[in-house]
Parts: sequence; structure tokens; C-alpha cells
Amino acid sequence: MKLNMRQWADALISSGPKKPMPVLSFPSVQLLNVSVGELVHSASLQAEGMRRIALRVDAAAALSMMDLSVEAEAFGARIRFGDNEVPSVIGCLVEDMAGAESLQVPEVGAGRTGLYLDAVTEAARTITDRPVLAGVIGPFSLAGRLMDMTKIMVSCYDEPEMVHTTLRKVTDFLIAYTRAYKASGANGVVLAEPAAGLLSPALCEEFSSPYVKEIVDAVQDDQFLLVYHNCGPAVPRMIPEILSTGAGAYHFGNAVDMEDVLCRMPEDVLTMGNIDPVADFRNGTPDSVRAHTLALMETCCKHKNFLISSGCDIPPVSPWENIDAFFAAADTFYHR
Amino acid sequence: MILEDIGALLQKGKSKDVERLTLEALESGLEPATILEDGLLAGMSVIGKKFKDGDVYIPEVLIAARAMNAGVAVLRPRLAAAGVEQHGTVVLGTVKGDLHDIGKNIVRMMMEGKGLKVVDLGVDVPAERFIDAAQENDADVIACSALLTTTMNEMREVVTRVKASPLHGKVKLMVGGAPVTKEFSDAIGADCFTADAASAADAALKLCGAN
Repeated sequence: MKLNMRQWADALISSGPKKPMPVLSFPSVQLLNVSVGELVHSASLQAEGMRRIALRVDAAAALSMMDLSVEAEAFGARIRFGDNEVPSVIGCLVEDMAGAESLQVPEVGAGRTGLYLDAVTEAARTITDRPVLAGVIGPFSLAGRLMDMTKIMVSCYDEPEMVHTTLRKVTDFLIAYTRAYKASGANGVVLAEPAAGLLSPALCEEFSSPYVKEIVDAVQDDQFLLVYHNCGPAVPRMIPEILSTGAGAYHFGNAVDMEDVLCRMPEDVLTMGNIDPVADFRNGTPDSVRAHTLALMETCCKHKNFLISSGCDIPPVSPWENIDAFFAAADTFYHR
Repeated sequence: MILEDIGALLQKGKSKDVERLTLEALESGLEPATILEDGLLAGMSVIGKKFKDGDVYIPEVLIAARAMNAGVAVLRPRLAAAGVEQHGTVVLGTVKGDLHDIGKNIVRMMMEGKGLKVVDLGVDVPAERFIDAAQENDADVIACSALLTTTMNEMREVVTRVKASPLHGKVKLMVGGAPVTKEFSDAIGADCFTADAASAADAALKLCGAN
């Protein structure tokens, strides 16, 4: 379904009651009665899971899986799959400059990227009452998975050329991959760049934001929105660097004070966050989720550009009564 | 002055300069323990505080810790010869089923920066390996890290096994990681939870002192 996504974001800002937009996809395993392992290997299950979630909750958008192993796997990284946990990258693909130089940029469709594209294509066909947003990893976070996260942090100082060489290649891939999502009928992507939230503002400015901006410039237009997600703790200190990406909307994690972040964000930029996905959605109770959601909205909804969301990806086995309590609390806030 | 220079260069992550100045300090007749405490650990302590306060970030901590280790490597033979002991021993690892290590690595560096000996077991560590390593190294603390909501329950297994082992009462148990909370730590019977790496190092030092 074609939508003007700039108008969609502007309408959310200007409207009073706003539909929440949690990063909600993996708990579909409970609705489908399948394992995470089965879900991440099946386009049809993913599309059906997104459809079931859209039927159950009145969210501002339907989001596909935030599986941050998919793109690394396409580059050749080894992946560990678990029945009830989101897949993890194993080992290190780029160990030195020679490894960075010889790293091959995969074709879109490599590994499970084709499967994820098929899922979003089907979801965009069947979900027609709200935008469908695909999930992609950000360039620094992908490079970190290929180089080893600790190593890339040190290499920002020791071997910046190696980091930039890797970033160049992952960015080329991410542009092509995101363009494929655009062609699939998705209305946008949520680009997850959590590793950049561990950097100083200066390093973020050098090693993350310019590459994210390249992706934004390549894909974002009236019909396709890029939502920048960063759940790192350093976000409040790097707002200018984050805004330099030019993304159409921003999503922040529970490691930050959302009110503090909103005070630093432009009033006309849609900004989402940040109910704790683990302490609340996964390990909380309906009462605690309701209380924390209402408290956050009390604090933050005076900012018209604030949209209530989870702070990050909601874990697969989070009780649905907690997720339902989140939506009910948001509804209560706006309609009491 | 030279000790201040060592601390300052350590904070900038200048490994080679720290190594060189540590050697010069030794040659000038300073005691190895003084160089360690007032140069290297003092510099690392500043980095730890700045990290806790949000004034430096993970990459800066990593390169500072590496510089500290470069200095410690110069001192190690002299420290051993002088009978200088570390402040305690921590067995550290990411629990079974979990492959995430950056948080654990930061904790290790912060703990080493407090003068603790850290036996880093890496990632995907089963409960029995924590216990074996604690026994082999006469550890004061076992520290478990997890990033995943599913694997954090493996911490309960570590706590249960330790309490059923001869280590019970001798080794303190620390837990941490993004999904871990004080409530969870209390529920599984761990001795200590901290929310960040710098606090973990402070707490471990205190627990080692208590033993």
C-alpha cells in the first residue's frame, strides 16, 4: 500500500491521540505456536506473524523482525540459532586490513536476506491498514558483527582505515538491501544502529552517522521513511551527530532519559521510545507495564513529537498480557 | 611527576608511552608497587570514574585498559619477585548459551584497573567451569554476565551449583548484563548486582576485601 510517509509522520506529530509503535515482531511466535528458530527460517511464518500482530494490536505501523544477524550472515558470518532466542553472530570475519579489503559484498538475497525480503513483500500485500516497516541493521553495528564488537571499538583508534574499509562495503550492501525493501512494497525501514550508542560523539560522527546518511540519501523520499534506532546509553550526548543522518524519525532505548532526549530533539521530528523491553515487557506484569507506560506518557506526551514505544525489540517470549497492557495503557492515557 | 605522566598517558590509551615510562620509573628506583598503585591504577581509576559519569565511552576505556596492561606487563616480574599480591581474584565469564562479550570485557578491564586478578573464561561458559576455575584459582568472586533474556536464567544455575559446592560461603557471586536487574539478582540468590562496569569493579574490590 503506497503511503506518503512524510505526511504519516507529520500527522502523528500533529494529532492528539497517537497509536503506539513498539518494536513488536518476535512475540508472534506465541501467536503462531512456533519456535524462534522456525520463524527466522520462514518467510511465510514471518508474514503471517506480522499479520496476526496487526490483527491483535492497533499499532501505528507493522514492523518486521529486528534480527541483527541476517546481514552479517549474508556476508558469511556464522550464526547460532536457538529455539527461543534471536540468532547471534559467532566469531570474527574481518581480522585485519587484508580481511577488510578482501571482504566480498554479497548479493541481496544471500543468506536469509531473500527470505526476509519475501516476508516483507507478503506482509506489505496483506497488511493494508498501516505502514509496513522492514528491519535492517545499521552500518557500524554490522561492521562490529563482522569484526568483533570489542575489536572494532579499539580499531576506531588503532586502525581507522580498516574500519572505514569495512564500513564502505557494509554500507554498499545496506543501500542495495534497503532499496530491495523499498521495491518490495515496504513503506520504510527501522535501521538499528545500537553499537553507535557505545561510541563518543566524535567517533559516532566519524564511523556511523555519515554512513547512515548515505543510506538515508539513497532510499528516503515521500513514500519511504527511514526510522533510526539507537538504544545505546550515549544517545543524549550525540543528538547533533544522530540528527545529521537526516532520518525521517528516531527511536531510542531505555538506557536514556526519554524526556531529556525529547528536550534535545527538534519539535517537528517524530521521536519514539522507550519502555524497557526486558524489565517491563518480558519480566514485568500487566500492572507494572501499565504503570510505567502511563508514567512515561505523563512525562513525555507534552512533547507533540513523542510516540510511545518499546525501548528496543520486545523479546520473543514476552507475555502477551504485558503487550496488551501496554496498548491499553496508551489508550487510557489518550481517552481518559 | 613520572607517575602522573604514566596516569595521563594511560588515560589517552598511549600503550607504548606507558610501557616506556613504566620502565623509566623502575630504572629511576621507584618501587614496582608504587608505580602500579600511583601510576597505572590511579590512571585507570580516573578513566573508570569518567566512564561512570559518561565523560568517556567504551572505546576510550578499552584503549586505556590496554595501555594499563602494557605497563603491568613491565612490572609483573618485579611485582612477583617483591611478593606484591593482587587485591583479589575474580572468575569472570558470559554464561552458557550466550556469546556476547563486550560488556564482560569492559568489566574485566575495570576490575583489572582496581588491581584485581581476573580469570576470564570467555563466553558460553557452563556453570561447572565457573566452579572449577574458582577452585583452581582460589577465587574470591565469581562474576557472571549475560545479554540475553533466555540465558540470564543460566545465572540461577551457577548460583545453585556454587551453593551446593564446597565453594559455598567462600566465594561471592556477582551478576550483571543488560537484562539483569537487582530484583532478578535477589531472586536467584546472588550476592551482588551492579548496573554498570565501573560499579562492578568497585563492588568486586569490596567483596574481595570482605573475604
